[in-house]
Amino acid sequence: MNTGTIVLFLLIFAGFNYFIKHRKIYAVYRVNRKKQSNKMTLPKYFGYVASMWSLIPALLVLLVIEIIDEPLLKSNITNYVHAENIEIGQDLDLYLNDIKNIKTDNIKDVDPIKLKVHEHYQNFETLISKAKTIIVISLAVLMTIFGFKKVTINTPARVYFEKVIEIILLLAATIAILTTVGIVLSVLFESLRFFGEVPILDFMFGTEWSPQTAIRSDQVGSSAAFGAVPLFVGTMLISAVALFVSVPLGLMSAIFLSEYASSKFRSFAKPVLEILAGIPTVVYGFFAALTVAPFIRELGTSMGLSVASESALAAGVVMGIMIIPFVSSLADDVISAVPNAMREGSLGLGATKSETIIKVLIPAALPGIVGGVLLAASRAIGETMIVVMAAGLAANLTVNPLEAVTTVTVQIVTLLTGDQEFDSAKTLAAFALGLMLFVTTLILNVIALHVVRKYREQYD
Amino acid sequence: MIDTQITKKPKTIAEIHAEHKKTVGQPFCKDAKFSTRNVDVFYGDKQAIFDVSLDVGKHEVVALIGPSGCGKSTYLRCLNRMNDTIDICRVTGQLMLDGEDIYKKSQDPVLLRARVGMVFQKPNPFPKSIYDNVAYGPRIHGLTTNKAELDEVVELSLTRAGLFDEVKDRLHEPGTGLSGGQQQRLCIARTIAVQPEVILMDEPASALDPIATAKIEELIHELKENYTIVIVTHSMQQAARVSQRTAYFHLGKLIEVGDTNQVFTNPAHELTEKYITGRFG
Repeated sequence: MNTGTIVLFLLIFAGFNYFIKHRKIYAVYRVNRKKQSNKMTLPKYFGYVASMWSLIPALLVLLVIEIIDEPLLKSNITNYVHAENIEIGQDLDLYLNDIKNIKTDNIKDVDPIKLKVHEHYQNFETLISKAKTIIVISLAVLMTIFGFKKVTINTPARVYFEKVIEIILLLAATIAILTTVGIVLSVLFESLRFFGEVPILDFMFGTEWSPQTAIRSDQVGSSAAFGAVPLFVGTMLISAVALFVSVPLGLMSAIFLSEYASSKFRSFAKPVLEILAGIPTVVYGFFAALTVAPFIRELGTSMGLSVASESALAAGVVMGIMIIPFVSSLADDVISAVPNAMREGSLGLGATKSETIIKVLIPAALPGIVGGVLLAASRAIGETMIVVMAAGLAANLTVNPLEAVTTVTVQIVTLLTGDQEFDSAKTLAAFALGLMLFVTTLILNVIALHVVRKYREQYD
Repeated sequence: MIDTQITKKPKTIAEIHAEHKKTVGQPFCKDAKFSTRNVDVFYGDKQAIFDVSLDVGKHEVVALIGPSGCGKSTYLRCLNRMNDTIDICRVTGQLMLDGEDIYKKSQDPVLLRARVGMVFQKPNPFPKSIYDNVAYGPRIHGLTTNKAELDEVVELSLTRAGLFDEVKDRLHEPGTGLSGGQQQRLCIARTIAVQPEVILMDEPASALDPIATAKIEELIHELKENYTIVIVTHSMQQAARVSQRTAYFHLGKLIEVGDTNQVFTNPAHELTEKYITGRFG
């Protein structure tokens, strides 16, 4: 029986236990309900607790078996291989993979020794599967009976149920946190491997980025320089251009929507503005590459400037348009949330609408506005598609927005696409870049939090 | 026999209100600061104020009383055009400040509000320091030319509002950290700092405890030397204590206006009498 079927069975047990417990308690409940003094827990809670008994212990055991399943199989086959004195001749993991993937309907092409091992593997797997089924199902049956006996009218069912809910919620939060920690740790360890090959100072302060490693010693143009500075400067340059476009536009449209526009116009314009964030970035990308970049180049040429056909400016401007809704939507919400008493207080003193907005509303809404800008900034730093298409791949170290630059994310993409081995410095560099990017956004967040705490004007 | 019993049955409040046409008492005065005639106010299709005509004399404290939803706050907010901020609100009739129509096209509502200050029901200090709260008005109107003058205005306003001694050591702490009564006096100081001619007060003490209320009332007594004050209040005792004239509103109509003493001791209109004796409201 496979895991899915077992879980289905457990659910049936749980449902069954809920049903009969509910019926049984309900009989008592109906009699007692008549008496006013006798407040009692609703029957459904007894049903819930009873069904928990059939479900949770069996599920936990199932989970444990699923976790130890794989290592058990592996050690068993390894032991078998050693006992039979079979020569593997390759990496153990790969060998195991081969064994597992042998298809029995196509025996004649397969090495007979492997086939033998495969047979052993299958036998053992069936054994585990059977054991799993028997253990879990019998536990569930036992617990169903035990739970049914255990839950009586005197059980504080509501208290138990609340506990279970609390634990479920805690689990949900834990999964989210553990995932984050897991990702960070995995990136961290891969980066450490990278820094074993390339010195960390060369990576952080090197000004040349050219990740092609030489395969033969006489190969030309593959210097394998891993200086990340040009990438970070490129990222910052494009993000700065994007924020330069999106913050004023977003903030001003937010102010217009929340303070000046009629509610009818607002209910129409706000969703339309938010659609900007819903357009796929690849669409923005070719818009930037095919429309905006040539336009900027021609404009530059007509003014006597030399503009690269792929420029940071084009990518930045288009990215800025894309992240307007991140700024405007959040800013609009927080400005609208400032109490009306603040507006009336200011207007009542003879301030104009714009004075009220600048001197009272924006300071009061500052934390939310900074939050929106920050969200936009992280989006700009992490954006890849537009940059790939509109800003190019050349790792130039420049702060001139008219030249082609490249960003961290774009380089991560180029490092990892195509056929790659996952232990060369070139691919490991992607993890180091990811880590740096993560740390950068983290620092940005901390700074912004600090700024907000210092300058916010708290209203109540 | 039966017939006479029916005719003797007293009229209901709603019937008296429906029959009421003309304000009883003395709604007008000679030396008027505000003079309003036939004011109607509509919220969308719903009429909130019916044909109100009332004068407010110079350096006079006029109390507007009446049950909830009677339109006294709405009327008050017409006097500095705060109703402009509500899209669906429409005001008709004539409202004059010093003989000038305040709803005429060329009237700048911002300038009007600098002349006619307002204190609100719930204390609403800005989330700024005490000093910045009071300095807010003088700064936006450019009333002072340098820091020393501004300091002086702030100190004077806080002193007049009876708050200076309590806050002089913490002028640069947030105004929102004060107690409710202090916050309200801060709002009054903020209003005085603009040097208005009239102060409108919309139930200024309704969110405060009795001691803070007493301080506000004392303050109103002092302020009437220099300002014209129109105060909306739910408390009849407060109206009796602070005002010279009292106007009684009922469901959007101005029922009776008179000398405060007379209104509370010898009301001319049946509805006023019923209200002040606590028969409804």
